[in-house]
Amino acid sequence: MNFQLTEEQSALVAAVQQILQDHADLPQSARAASHWFNETLQALLAENGYLNVGREFGALEAALVVIEAAKMPVLTEVAATALIAPQLLGEESLEGPVAILNGRDLSRAHRNLPIARHALIDLGDDVALLPIEAENVETVPSILAYPFGRFRRPPDLRAARRLRCQAGALRHWWRVALSAESAGAAQAAVAFTLNHVKQRHVFGHPVAVFQSVQHRMVQCHMVATALYYLALRAAWSGKVYDADVAACYAQQHIKKLVVDLHQFSGAMGVTNEFALHLWTYRLRALQTEAGGMVECALDIARHR
Amino acid sequence: MEFGWTAEQDEFRERVRAALDELLPADWDEVYVPQSYASDLQVEFSRTFCAGLAERGLLVPHWPKQYGGNDADDWQHFVLGEEMKAAGEPRGPQYMNVNWIGPAIMRYGSDAQRREHLLGISSGKIIWCQGFSEPGAGTDLASLKTRAENRGDHYLVNGSKIWTSYARKADRCFLLARTGAGRKEISVFLLPMSTPGISVTSFPGLIKDGHLNEVFFSDVKVPVSARLGEEGAGWKIITYALSYERVGVTRYHAGLEALNIAIGKLKKQSRFDDPVMQSRAGMIAAKFEAARLLTYRVVDLRVHRIADTAEANLCRIASLDAVEDLMDFLVQYVPDCLTGGDALLEDYYRINIPAGITGGTNELQLDLVARRALGMPGRT
Repeated sequence: MNFQLTEEQSALVAAVQQILQDHADLPQSARAASHWFNETLQALLAENGYLNVGREFGALEAALVVIEAAKMPVLTEVAATALIAPQLLGEESLEGPVAILNGRDLSRAHRNLPIARHALIDLGDDVALLPIEAENVETVPSILAYPFGRFRRPPDLRAARRLRCQAGALRHWWRVALSAESAGAAQAAVAFTLNHVKQRHVFGHPVAVFQSVQHRMVQCHMVATALYYLALRAAWSGKVYDADVAACYAQQHIKKLVVDLHQFSGAMGVTNEFALHLWTYRLRALQTEAGGMVECALDIARHR
Repeated sequence: MEFGWTAEQDEFRERVRAALDELLPADWDEVYVPQSYASDLQVEFSRTFCAGLAERGLLVPHWPKQYGGNDADDWQHFVLGEEMKAAGEPRGPQYMNVNWIGPAIMRYGSDAQRREHLLGISSGKIIWCQGFSEPGAGTDLASLKTRAENRGDHYLVNGSKIWTSYARKADRCFLLARTGAGRKEISVFLLPMSTPGISVTSFPGLIKDGHLNEVFFSDVKVPVSARLGEEGAGWKIITYALSYERVGVTRYHAGLEALNIAIGKLKKQSRFDDPVMQSRAGMIAAKFEAARLLTYRVVDLRVHRIADTAEANLCRIASLDAVEDLMDFLVQYVPDCLTGGDALLEDYYRINIPAGITGGTNELQLDLVARRALGMPGRT
């Protein structure tokens, strides 16, 4: 048991933080947007090998990159490309961004579909690996802080490549990925709100002075911290139980994070100019994925 | 970063389990555990059990060799605690001895005190009780009123302590008493419970027998040599000692064990196919796993000699959250556990009734994390 990053892992995190920080700011034109996908940063992450760490180093290292990317106000797609795809495709690389879709309902809007080059579709037993035709995707506006889109016409799954009996692995790593992404978003949302409550004065005091605020902020901090380690353990072990636990913990606490952090941000928190939604509404988008909290909890119970 | 145990740690865990198999009586689960680890039966049994652990080098492996330990690292100490908790804590009150009373004496005691007390603790035969709380001073310990008046060659102690687990059977008391008028002018005394002027009464309550005692001190003469550290150094000493206690309680382990017992019972009754029940059990397990990792993180910081700002407090908050959910689950789905239907689950429930109070209330833990970890301002 050793919770400290190795020298190599520390160097990886520091390096990816540097490149992310250099491109962290939203452009003026996107200040009021529900999200902003930074295509340039996405390309830089790919060119510099950060989307390949899952293959080169392992799932834990990929999860560390996912967490760092999820802390940024600008959006990149790292989780599916760097963490999930290598677990299904091994040495074969897949051009991202990648969208992960539940094949039971392809008619609805899907996260990351408008930016995706490929989709991995859970078909129950098999996975379909589908190249995305941009002209077949229409963007769907949403307050959820990812690009959402739906197919204009149903995708031709017969033409898609089948990854036989890989759907279980997809759902497993989807849960690891959403836990890691939630951990990064939660840490950033807590840090952002903490800064706000220390700066913002009400009734002559900083908001942070009130015990009712302090206790709930600590609980949010606890969730974000626990989630970080649960996600990394799930990535490290590759065990289904650990992935179920991490995703279940994330999804059962997203309500608390969203409600409390917006509550402490007051009316400012409902504006898009106030950046909190960039993380909290990512969390909301992740709340029902890979089965959602109840499916994860049922799977945990089946292990016991 | 590594989330697995080393071969050496696995081997150590197996040694502990083997010792438990050898040392626990056949009716341990049926007769001893349901009576609670503070019961007279278990407290007395701990003298035999801990002596057996000591003979196997498993009572204080993390202590320095000179005091009967083996200089083992914090992880071994922790693995030991996990296994003991999972077995129903057969060390009884002696978990306190090895977790924080001994280390506090090592750090602050005189040579004579170390000689007198540490070998006694590491032999596994001495029972201590903790003389901290009073009717008017629980979490706010600095409000305590028990007074130790300095009379030159001795102190005269008057006052009372309450919630003093194990006091009926204890050989010694780790006593906090006021030695000055200032709020934190408090000192620690190490005194035999047989000292004239000390009396103990017990009273019933929601938690099990053995925890709810009141200890009275009436003109108790305590030699100056029984004071631990300097006069007035009590606050510093208990802050050090309790930092060990806060991580010493591995609640997630006992919680997951109790959850498994409940699930096993529900399966036997063919009731665990209810998805609502299953999902609640899954969510509780996830919370305990979160508490487990936050607790491991505290040990990891200790192993790496990194200052713990408030991580120990954070893991207590996480544990309590899971414990409260489990208690609610038990009442809802295994309701006969509080009416004689399952002694182990009843014990789990009742021992955890004050889980948010003992060792510093949950609100205090939240305050400490807010201040130390999040840098939130105090009240003006």
